[in-house]
Amino acid sequence: MARILRHYGTLFGMVAIVVVFWVLLPDTFMTARNWLNITQQLSMLTVVAVAMTVVMVIGDFDLSVGSMASLAGVFAAVLFTLGWPVWAAVVAALALGLLGGVINGVLVSMIGILPFVATLATLTMYSGAAFIVSGGKTIFGRDIPQSFGDFAKSGLPLGTLADKPIVLPWLTVLALGIAALIAVVLELTTYGRRLYAIGGNAEAARLAGVKVAFLRLTAYAFTGVGAAAAGLMYASRVASANPTQGEGLMLNAIAAVFLGMTVTRHGQPRVLATLAGVLVLGVMDNGLTQLKVDSYVRQVLVGLIILLAVSISALGRRAILRR
Amino acid sequence: MALHITRRGFGTTVLAAGLALTAGAALAKGEKIAVITPYLSQPGTQFYVEAFQARAKELGWEVNVIDTQGDVAAVISRIEDVVAQGVNGIVINVDPAQIGAGLDAAAAAKIPVIGMDAGSDPRIAANVTSNGYAMAAETSVYVANRIGGSGGVVMFTFDAFPPVQVRGVIADAVFKNYPDIKVLDRITPDVSDGGIADSRAKMEALLAANPTPGSIKAVWAAWDQPALGALQAIEAAGRQNEGIVITGIDANPQARDAIAAGGNFEASVAQDFKGIGSTAADTLARVLGGETLKANVIYVPTKLVTSVNAKE
Repeated sequence: MARILRHYGTLFGMVAIVVVFWVLLPDTFMTARNWLNITQQLSMLTVVAVAMTVVMVIGDFDLSVGSMASLAGVFAAVLFTLGWPVWAAVVAALALGLLGGVINGVLVSMIGILPFVATLATLTMYSGAAFIVSGGKTIFGRDIPQSFGDFAKSGLPLGTLADKPIVLPWLTVLALGIAALIAVVLELTTYGRRLYAIGGNAEAARLAGVKVAFLRLTAYAFTGVGAAAAGLMYASRVASANPTQGEGLMLNAIAAVFLGMTVTRHGQPRVLATLAGVLVLGVMDNGLTQLKVDSYVRQVLVGLIILLAVSISALGRRAILRR
Repeated sequence: MALHITRRGFGTTVLAAGLALTAGAALAKGEKIAVITPYLSQPGTQFYVEAFQARAKELGWEVNVIDTQGDVAAVISRIEDVVAQGVNGIVINVDPAQIGAGLDAAAAAKIPVIGMDAGSDPRIAANVTSNGYAMAAETSVYVANRIGGSGGVVMFTFDAFPPVQVRGVIADAVFKNYPDIKVLDRITPDVSDGGIADSRAKMEALLAANPTPGSIKAVWAAWDQPALGALQAIEAAGRQNEGIVITGIDANPQARDAIAAGGNFEASVAQDFKGIGSTAADTLARVLGGETLKANVIYVPTKLVTSVNAKE
């Protein structure tokens, strides 16, 4: 029983949340359109959370993702105002994300600063850089190319429902693509297995010949690029860029990975589990908004759900150990 | 927390009064309305949202106030959520240019969107706001009258920000209309520090450049922060008894205190935030009643604040 509760407790909880909303919102929750909305709303968090999964696999985390997302967004927008074509500005912003990630990696793995301290410092630096690049202003309107803003508004046509077109948003497609890519890297490559080995026991991995320092550095490249990608997606969705717009992503991404870890067998971060965690957070936001629950109460409830999930998982683990 | 969700449970007398007020329009009782804002923690926003809720209660609406805490993309997400939920109307107070995807979703579902001090957009049925031109006219004419239509005036403007730029245009026109008023300088302060400190530094330089008492008759500022900075500079230079008249716009609490103190800072203009909230509700009622609005910007009158009413 304890084993079942530990392995599937959160999963049951997740299903229960969906069922509760379905019952309370019979007409509007379990609809294709609403679910497509939810996936689109979650696309940016998905990208940051799956990237965060990579560093959490090795037992680290990256606090700078939110400010990197903001920085990448305003950086691309400023390049747009300088007349750069969309593709070039996007590539440059992703390269900036890579650079930011590598800086984090060097600080943590080469210099040996604790990830919390190193990425807290770069969080502040990237956030400051975002203000410098943008001059503290929101860049919007004619400065943002039409095609860049249109990307987030369009998608893959899936047919029509009740005379209205059903579209799979490009943001969703992109997020799923990035998640699939990272899942393949983590689950199916030697590189990924080595990261899990470092997360399990870094010293043992080192003795087994794994280049721990180098691999740790590369893991941060994923969060840097992932955060930059999410920042660009955010900028496309709001057709503007603002030096603080990515702020909310970091804590939610870490929460999503933790929620996911309560589902996996050894409590390891896995991409599919992280996706489940992201979905829980998004479904809570969507469902509670539709139920007209106060925004602040909603925040408390989301925190409670996270605690509940992690508690069930911890209690289940204790029960197994006691046996 | 003063804000809460308004659900059922309103007094029938209040309801009757509300119904009487909407006579003519199809009665929109029991309508579900979502108010979505990223800025609920800002004082002005709280005033309009509370006034909107009060009026909506009279109209018998169910209002759901959603605060995304600064997150503009979340405004789009929450608009999509309430569109899925099937609300009857949506009220926003964020720049429409940034939430186009959400406005598209509302437009596709034919749900009217009203802006409270939001900016104009074809997808917004009406934006309820204050008239920046009128506010600037109030203070620039106050200055011109106080100095008898003659003397040197310092202007603080900020043309990069459209809502403030319109204020400067009007002041330019008013001062130009008095042949004896000479605009000594038209300063754009650096606002990255909030606007007070740099305005003070710029004003100190001008005071140094114009040492003769009476050479500067007035300071007209397009918003309160430069006016406060100019006041500090004048007081620090010991020239507060020369009769230099200072005006601002917005009537923020700090400006009200300075005006009430009876010093050089004599006037500002207050936006009627409560009026914006209740007018937004009335406007939404008109739209829900089937009326097509001719003007999609609706101005709520503002009020000149002087030492007489600064403490109100």
